[in-house]
Amino acid sequence: MSATIIFDDALVADLSQQQPQTPWGRRTSKFRTVVILAILIPAAIVTMLWWFSEIPKPVLMVSIYLPLQIVASVLAAIAVRGTKSAIDAVIIVSAIGATIFSLVVLISVLWSIVTKGMQALSAAFLFQNNEYISPSTPLGYGGLGHAVVGTILIVGISALIAVPLGVMTAIYITEVRGRAVPYVRFFVQAMSGVPSVVAGLFILTTLILTGALNQSAFAAGLAYAILMLPTVARTAEEVLKLVPDELRTGALALGSTRARVVLKVVVPAAKTGMITAAILGVARVVGETAPLLLTALKNDKTVLNPFSDPISALPTYIFDNVAQPYPDAVIRAWGAALTLMVLVAILFTLTRMLSAKRLGK
Amino acid sequence: MSTAEFDDVKIEDVQELEKEIAMRGTASATEMEARDVSVWFGKRKVLEGVSIAFPKNTVTALIGPSGCGKSTFIRTLNRLHELIPSAALAGEVLYEGNDIYAPEVDPVHIRLKIGMVFQKPNPFPSMTIRGNVLSGLKLSGLKRSNHDDIVEHTLKAAGLWNEVKDRLNHAAGDLSGGQQQRLVIARALAVNPSVLLMDEPCSALDPGSTLKIEETIRELSSEITIIIVTHNMQQAVRVADNTAFFLSTDGTPGHVIEQGPTTEIFGNPQDQRTLDYVNGRFG
Repeated sequence: MSATIIFDDALVADLSQQQPQTPWGRRTSKFRTVVILAILIPAAIVTMLWWFSEIPKPVLMVSIYLPLQIVASVLAAIAVRGTKSAIDAVIIVSAIGATIFSLVVLISVLWSIVTKGMQALSAAFLFQNNEYISPSTPLGYGGLGHAVVGTILIVGISALIAVPLGVMTAIYITEVRGRAVPYVRFFVQAMSGVPSVVAGLFILTTLILTGALNQSAFAAGLAYAILMLPTVARTAEEVLKLVPDELRTGALALGSTRARVVLKVVVPAAKTGMITAAILGVARVVGETAPLLLTALKNDKTVLNPFSDPISALPTYIFDNVAQPYPDAVIRAWGAALTLMVLVAILFTLTRMLSAKRLGK
Repeated sequence: MSTAEFDDVKIEDVQELEKEIAMRGTASATEMEARDVSVWFGKRKVLEGVSIAFPKNTVTALIGPSGCGKSTFIRTLNRLHELIPSAALAGEVLYEGNDIYAPEVDPVHIRLKIGMVFQKPNPFPSMTIRGNVLSGLKLSGLKRSNHDDIVEHTLKAAGLWNEVKDRLNHAAGDLSGGQQQRLVIARALAVNPSVLLMDEPCSALDPGSTLKIEETIRELSSEITIIIVTHNMQQAVRVADNTAFFLSTDGTPGHVIEQGPTTEIFGNPQDQRTLDYVNGRFG
């Protein structure tokens, strides 16, 4: 006996007309009401206080609105899903609140740098140097070209020294695994706590006052390298640790020497992370002012020779101008801060783009 | 009479030679041999007195429950065991009659002749499929000119060629787990080893990929000696000429309970524990 399946035409037509839906997103009307109330009531109270009270606005938002919203969310959660979800609500609302708080702080810093810095920006400001310019010279004359050159030179020199050294240190810790690893790791960690002024003082007393070096881009680069090294080494170590051991044993099982394992398998596998290590190292030092005041001094001319003369960099340019009693000089300092930020952003984007080239595809 | 005596001697010689040839035909020459190998991690002894001979161009399966030291044992055969800081070892491992732990032996050279495939597929993520196959040459510094031939030959031997021949320059990470495992087999073959160690090569794979790898093992066994650790008893029956059963009971070091031709171990085991294990009563 054979069974015949009879298709219901209406059913088939109905099936073919199914639309993608998200059934897990459907809510009961009670849920909607409670959520809307939990959002509206604290917002309404705070809006009233905002207009009709003398409480300072930031205090109002942080110490009244946030707790109020947490309490409202907890009550809403209890009403909808029972007491167990109360902790959930506290954690979620606090996390959102903390994120918004830090975003507000960051964006307002960024905002003030951009709005004030933009006033100084012009072709002359970016490409001219500070020669024949006094703090009282109005905007439109002179610029920070020499300081941009100085920052690039100093940071470049320090990166050339600290990135290879830091990566090698990390390779010693994770790949060579010699006897000295605990001590090396301890010293690297201790070095990351060195105040930047101490790095500058160290170069000043050991290399400049002894006459080995002039106060110059190279001397400042050495001081920056001292600060950059621990950051690069620590980050590179963490990244190398992420490379699975299976790759190392796999390479060894193919008859590889340890050096080739590191160079051809481990480091390429951690390439993106290594670039992050270098970027973090640069970010660590690029705004440091104290070592420059001791090792590079300042110079209004553009200096290209890293060994010969004192040199200005963006942090020293900001430091000089921001303390002047002339509004235009202060605006120049803001402009320099903006330039420094954009410079770092461009550098990071470029390195990310270069490292993002994936194979194949 | 003197001529007759001479003939007798000659006949004895020939008989001796014939016997030797017959030996080679059945048991064949021994490629690798472990003699009384014991292994420690720190103070803890994990393997005791393991002696196994691996005849040339055969497949030997090492079976036994988890934690009985099979993987540890296989790693002593190409000197990967010594990479673990607390490792220690006693006994001898002979490759072509010479102790691979002799002081003048370079482990890099040993690992080049005795390749290994691991439990988890480990293709190099920074390299392409083609780059992975050739990575052994690059890593060991071997100079070969016919790279295209090596890539095609080894990928065919590993049963992967048809699936990847049009995308040799794609990243190796784009392959499925089973394909990755066959890729690392091709990679191990590219340096032309005479022994291939496989540590549970199919434990993370689906039945289809497992079947392909088993076919590969059978085909390869005419050219190289294969030693495979497996938890899959059917797999041992399907691929292995010889089988050794490892066991470690109640914290005692693992040792070989029984070894011999696979048909004997599974069909007519001498030890009750072997019988229980191959019939799935424990482990």
